Amino acid sequence: METPPSSINRRDFLAKTAVGVGAGLVLGTPGLLRAATAGSPSNAINVALVGQGKQGQVLFDAMRNIPGLHFQAVCDIWDYNRKGSVGRVTSLQKHKPKAYSDIDDMLATEKGLDAVVIATPDFWHSPHTVKCLEAGLNVYCEKMMSNTIDGARAMVKAMEKSGKLCQIGHQRRSNPRYRFTLDQLINGSKICGQIVNVNGQWNRAVKSSQNIAYNPNLKISQDILAKYGYKDMHQFMNWRFFRDLSGGAISDLGAHQIDIFNWFLGTTPKSVYATGGNSYFKEREHFDNVMALFEYDTPQGQVRAFYQVLTTTSAGGGYWESFMGTEGTIKISENSAFTEIFKEASPAPKDPSAPQPDKPIPLSWDRLVQRGLLGRKAATWVAPAAGGVVDSRVSAPPEGFSLPGELNKPPHQPHLENFFAAVRGEAKLTCDARHAFMSEAPIYWVNPSALSQLPIVFTPEQLSV
Amino acid sequence: MTTDSTDCCKATDSTASCKACPGTDLGLFYGAFLLRIWLAVRTIQTGLEKYVGTVGSDQPVAIDGKPNGYGLTAATNLKEYALSHYHGVPEGLFKKFATEPLMRLPAPIETGIKECYKSLGGKFSGEKLADAPAAWAKFLEEPVMLNIYNVVLGPALLVLGFMILFGIASRTSLFLLGLLYISLTWGLILIKEDSGIAWLGIHMVLVVMALMLAKYNRLCLLKKW
Repeated sequence: METPPSSINRRDFLAKTAVGVGAGLVLGTPGLLRAATAGSPSNAINVALVGQGKQGQVLFDAMRNIPGLHFQAVCDIWDYNRKGSVGRVTSLQKHKPKAYSDIDDMLATEKGLDAVVIATPDFWHSPHTVKCLEAGLNVYCEKMMSNTIDGARAMVKAMEKSGKLCQIGHQRRSNPRYRFTLDQLINGSKICGQIVNVNGQWNRAVKSSQNIAYNPNLKISQDILAKYGYKDMHQFMNWRFFRDLSGGAISDLGAHQIDIFNWFLGTTPKSVYATGGNSYFKEREHFDNVMALFEYDTPQGQVRAFYQVLTTTSAGGGYWESFMGTEGTIKISENSAFTEIFKEASPAPKDPSAPQPDKPIPLSWDRLVQRGLLGRKAATWVAPAAGGVVDSRVSAPPEGFSLPGELNKPPHQPHLENFFAAVRGEAKLTCDARHAFMSEAPIYWVNPSALSQLPIVFTPEQLSV
Repeated sequence: MTTDSTDCCKATDSTASCKACPGTDLGLFYGAFLLRIWLAVRTIQTGLEKYVGTVGSDQPVAIDGKPNGYGLTAATNLKEYALSHYHGVPEGLFKKFATEPLMRLPAPIETGIKECYKSLGGKFSGEKLADAPAAWAKFLEEPVMLNIYNVVLGPALLVLGFMILFGIASRTSLFLLGLLYISLTWGLILIKEDSGIAWLGIHMVLVVMALMLAKYNRLCLLKKW
């Protein structure tokens, strides 16, 4: 586990972000870090679980089916979470893990740990990750890297200084559906043609965005809350709504999807203009709805991307990212029900896989179906009835297609599998801290843009470590 | 194998006054045999279907004829027969029946069962039997009658089906099959499934016809009853 990360120094990074193509190259080739074989004699990876709230449980459930893991310790400041975690781990591996309320105690006491999985609130991500990396552990840390861009920078520096692995929980980066879509459909077959627009959203109903309640009998003492940075139990339960503790909805929900914008386009945006407000949850510090426009310069040309996160309505079809091109559109989501592919009813481009590229052979979507690269699906957009055409220039309805397969595991499992395979030296990380930072950096500027009501044209310094 | 040897015309008799021997009327024998086979197949396969479950499997998606390297899978569901899949009354119907008051035992009988159980050292936790083996708990907890029926239905269909197929006490086995169809009909009346009732009515007609033709049966393992 000693292979150092590839060194991308600040000068290199500035040069690359100054030129979109350069940034594209960096974003497009993730997975720089690889560790050596896990150190325990049995070859099991000794894991500590830090932060065992809801997301911690999601990650644990995704790790249940990964062989070769030994959950040595669990850590959470809330005894309710801690006891629950001990019970789940004991049930799985038939013996109790060591339980800690404080990560410093855990790191000082536990010997032989190989890796730590961190799912604490955002404002603890950076301190916890840095501590663990400095203690010589490989780290899987939930996204968003930190509630501040400086916190995220510290994580990248700690990873590169320690030479340990640091995977950030942008789990779509390891999702077979996303990897297939990027490799085979967008880059390989180029079914979108020139991507000119990107849309993404996460719309969530008011009911799903309520304050999280707690049982007063299980309340954490005020001393402990204060020690760990919480004003009271309400803030502990609802840290996502507070500016000092979290980046808000654009960070909680948007970061996953804006990361896909950057990953698929192979570059970072050159500017952002955002707006947001508290239309419904007026008492919250963070906006309950945010809309952001990003502009990109890609090797293919300009791309404008729109992202919205609404915590006040679920209308509009849930959560997805849509890559709209001159020839086709891929609307992809972790939820296959939201995933759709459309072929424009317009002249087709050359087939990049045709044997004689000098002859203009049209891209045959039927051929892609025959090869197994696409499935067929009825398009949700149908032609208007005769006489119902609104305008003579209304486009013909596109044909519908689908991805050819599904992910048959919990959504986080492939990303965790990638992390543990990298710990064993058998794989490269798909989203190490350096690449995660490059993708997340523009997101840190969404709230400032919305607060100032001004567009932000990024300088290299704003997006660099 | 036995054959009917009652007084009747032999094949060589030319006397017009004697009755045709049941076993020698080939057309009626064929009719009886076909109806017997039909009812047996219907009953056996219905019983076997009580042991059906679905086993999902995810196969790698093939691209250019080879399994893809991304881990994309396509789900396929396979039908499987196993004792562990047993469900006498389908789950949806079971839930409907469970709310029917006539599916519960009369209160005195229920109390009697509980008292018996307690006197044998058994314990209750609310309505649940606290320490009974799972198999017994299935029988003894409400709705008792439905639980018993749920357990018995599948095996009963199989036993009766094979009895009819092999000609073991054909009249009695057909009669019992008729009773079983009546019990099913009663259940469907409770939940107002009129089309199912009509469907079972057709089965009852076939059972009665089979009983009427039973005397023409040949190829029976047990002709008696």
